[in-house]
Amino acid sequence: MKTTSPKHRLVALLSLPIFLFLVIPTAIVVPVALNDSRYITFPPEGLSFAAVAGFFADKAWTSALTASLQSAGIAVVIGVLLGATAAIGMHGRKFTGQPAVVGLILAPMIVPTVVLALAFYQFFIAIGMVGSILPIGLAHAVIATPYVYLTTRASLAGLNPALVRSAQSLGAGPLSVLRHVYLPIMLPGLISGALFAFSVSIDETVMSLFMQSPAATTLPVKMFTDIQFNLTPKIAVSSALLVSVATFGLLLQVMFVLRRRSTARMLPMAAPAQT
Amino acid sequence: MSTSVISAHQKPQAKPAGQGAIELRQVRKSYGDVVAVDQLDLTVQPGEFVTLLGPSGSGKTTTMMMVAGFEDHTSGSVLIDGKPVDTLPPRDRNLGVVFQNYALFPHMSALENVEFALRMRKVPRTERRQRAVDALDRVGLGKMGDRKPRQLSGGQQQRVALARALVFNPAALLLDEPMAALDKRLREQMQEEIKTLQKSLGISVLFVTHDQDEAMAMSDRIVVMRDGKIVQSGAPDDVYNHPLTDWVASFLGDTNLIPCTVVERTGDEAVVDLGGLGRARVRDRGAQGENYAVSIRPEHLKFSSAAVAGNGCAAKLVTSTNLGATVRHRLTAGGHDLQLRELSSDSAARFAPEGEVWVRWDADKAQLLVLES
Amino acid sequence: MSTATLPRTRPKGRDNPSPAGAAPKRRRTGWWLLLAPILVFDVVLFLTPLGKLVASSFADNAYQRVLEDPLVVRSLVNTLTISLASTLVTVALGYVIAVVLCNAGNVMRVVLFAVVLLPFWTGILVKNFAWAVLLQDNGIINAFLRGIGLTDAPVELLHNRFAVIVGMVHCLLPYAVFPIFSSLTSIDDRLGLAARSLGATEASVFRRITLPLSAPGVSAAGLLVFIISTGFFITPVVMGGPGDMMIANQIDYYARQLTDFSGAAALAVVLTVMVSILVAVYQRVLKAGGQHEDN
Repeated sequence: MKTTSPKHRLVALLSLPIFLFLVIPTAIVVPVALNDSRYITFPPEGLSFAAVAGFFADKAWTSALTASLQSAGIAVVIGVLLGATAAIGMHGRKFTGQPAVVGLILAPMIVPTVVLALAFYQFFIAIGMVGSILPIGLAHAVIATPYVYLTTRASLAGLNPALVRSAQSLGAGPLSVLRHVYLPIMLPGLISGALFAFSVSIDETVMSLFMQSPAATTLPVKMFTDIQFNLTPKIAVSSALLVSVATFGLLLQVMFVLRRRSTARMLPMAAPAQT
Repeated sequence: MSTSVISAHQKPQAKPAGQGAIELRQVRKSYGDVVAVDQLDLTVQPGEFVTLLGPSGSGKTTTMMMVAGFEDHTSGSVLIDGKPVDTLPPRDRNLGVVFQNYALFPHMSALENVEFALRMRKVPRTERRQRAVDALDRVGLGKMGDRKPRQLSGGQQQRVALARALVFNPAALLLDEPMAALDKRLREQMQEEIKTLQKSLGISVLFVTHDQDEAMAMSDRIVVMRDGKIVQSGAPDDVYNHPLTDWVASFLGDTNLIPCTVVERTGDEAVVDLGGLGRARVRDRGAQGENYAVSIRPEHLKFSSAAVAGNGCAAKLVTSTNLGATVRHRLTAGGHDLQLRELSSDSAARFAPEGEVWVRWDADKAQLLVLES
Repeated sequence: MSTATLPRTRPKGRDNPSPAGAAPKRRRTGWWLLLAPILVFDVVLFLTPLGKLVASSFADNAYQRVLEDPLVVRSLVNTLTISLASTLVTVALGYVIAVVLCNAGNVMRVVLFAVVLLPFWTGILVKNFAWAVLLQDNGIINAFLRGIGLTDAPVELLHNRFAVIVGMVHCLLPYAVFPIFSSLTSIDDRLGLAARSLGATEASVFRRITLPLSAPGVSAAGLLVFIISTGFFITPVVMGGPGDMMIANQIDYYARQLTDFSGAAALAVVLTVMVSILVAVYQRVLKAGGQHEDN
């Protein structure tokens, strides 16, 4: 029973500033990047692609973009492979020690990133893996994998384990079961998991900051370093690039929600907390 | 649990006589193009137990929600004790409401639930406590006051909901399918208890249900609703025995409908032609329509030892089924399928299937009605 | 239909149980292999680095050393006060949003959900950059304050604790909305109707019914938000002043400025233990809330 009482309208009106508070910071990023001014201002004074051109002409920024894409690539590939195999391995099974295994898989989500950053920093120095993008990509993979595991597990939740057993009893080999039984059902979960992994990596700052080197400075690290001195149009362009990734992820998630017709279901799938 | 725990002999609450009348005048509710309740006129007299009976979607719950003030009506007027309450919020209408799932506050004890209305009315603490305990006593739950709703059985929750709705001496009680969640045995017990309580308090009740047995058992008056309109209202046995249309007849229970043509109408009675069953004298309420039929309840058909002219016919027995308390016989007569029900104790295995029998009925138990379908 | 999934000989009905029963036996050996990659990966790249970190924290009397450092004490106090303030603001605003989401129609609800989820997907630096643009001396908010004649000189809105809390609340709001929203939607609408029929005003319905029944969601939201708050690193640097450094910044300072790894590790362990205790409490709250709904 839905009643639109005056009270509800009052609450809705009161909440308008809060919704603006949520939207405005993200909404101004693209206009600021396309602003026709040497300074960072909002509202913009005119449309110009000068800052965008400047960004792509600056070697420091383009190599940061490349580094970010590389680390995201590593995180997505490892995250999808490990998250998906783990989700299949756990599907429909109960065994002793299972809570511990699940706990280990999900643990990287709750350890503060600064703690992980420090741990990785020490660890990769100790094993001599420094100065490249690989350790950063691996570190991102560690925190991205739990998200892929969760999204994949969620899409497998509707698959009856008995179906798998019956397929096997009919003589289907492991690869055939994977292709014809698991893959079609997990695909939506895999796609959104991959997107989460990409988003986690492309926005991650703290670990990348600790493990940065001249050859491996990611986009957020470059932004973080520059922003402490000045707000520049190139930071704005970089922000606009990241916002487009965010918008894509958001739209996909909304579509996912609309298809499931459930808003509550996807809540545990919240994107990672970046601090 | 088999004895009634609601004591009927408790002193009725002090309530000025002649209060608790609910009146709906030309009340209409529409959602866009969909009309939920259409030009409804309805009166509940002080102390009267009125049941809105209808299938889901008939508008009965919407009607009740408009009386309670939870839904605004599109047009018309609702009056309580003669005063229009159309602009009053629910809290100022002074009506006790019991919901289908009781809607007990899960975070409050039974006593706190009952106290709630008094707390809202700023009744002093000690008086509030005393009245709430009394109200719980009245429904036999005096010792359960500390329990949370989830620690109570369905029947006990039902009683707490009743106590909560009565504790502030409301003008009337509104009950929205309050027994839908109970099993059959408990439901029948609660029906009697609520009826007893209502009589002892002398409170008016507007009761909503889709269960015709419940309506028959409890009501002073049944108002049958269909598609937002009242199709018939009256005392339970009057509506049951003398339905205006075949829809009402069928909704209230099993019946034999024999299509007929009207030969002559004389006020309360009519002479009809039942086709293969000849002519008969039947009850008539003057309902007008295109097609007519005669309704005879299965329990009003009787076996007869000899042919009866007018209110009887020859029939052929097809099957007999023992239902425990009653036996159901299926017959064919003059091209019609008939059902005859009699008490098992009256029934002897005297008729072989496929046997030729005679049946008869009382003229005032055969009702002329309008065929809608 | 792919023929690959069909057996070469159709088993007779009687023999059916045997291959079906044998199948799990065959898999029993194999399925651990599916978990092996993630377990090996997490042991080598998650547990080992963390283990090394914990081990290094016990060197050089590190705990005593860092806890006696007034800067550390200050950052711990900052962490608690900033997290607490952010949590209170976040939960209060989140509650309003959750109520609006509950009352919204279907289309509006999806739109508003997207709005709430937007900060989720936006990177922390993007959000902080945008706030810096808005709050800077010649930013739009200062222009507005000058425009309505509230001030002549620009108000310092950036590089202070206020800015840190604004930035953090913006990041944290979605985390508060969802637990509160789901506890609000689990409240039966008829409870409100019943209360109103019993004489309650809208305000009493909220205070005596809605608020107590959404308390599990509020405490879950508060804990979750507080847990996330304690680990903030970027926002205090970008939006705060020198006096707003939190414990994460202190870890960074020990590690990269002082190159005191054991000290940094000790601080990291302190933070992790704090968070773990809160997570344990959080899971308890969630479980208690779940049990409540079951009944």
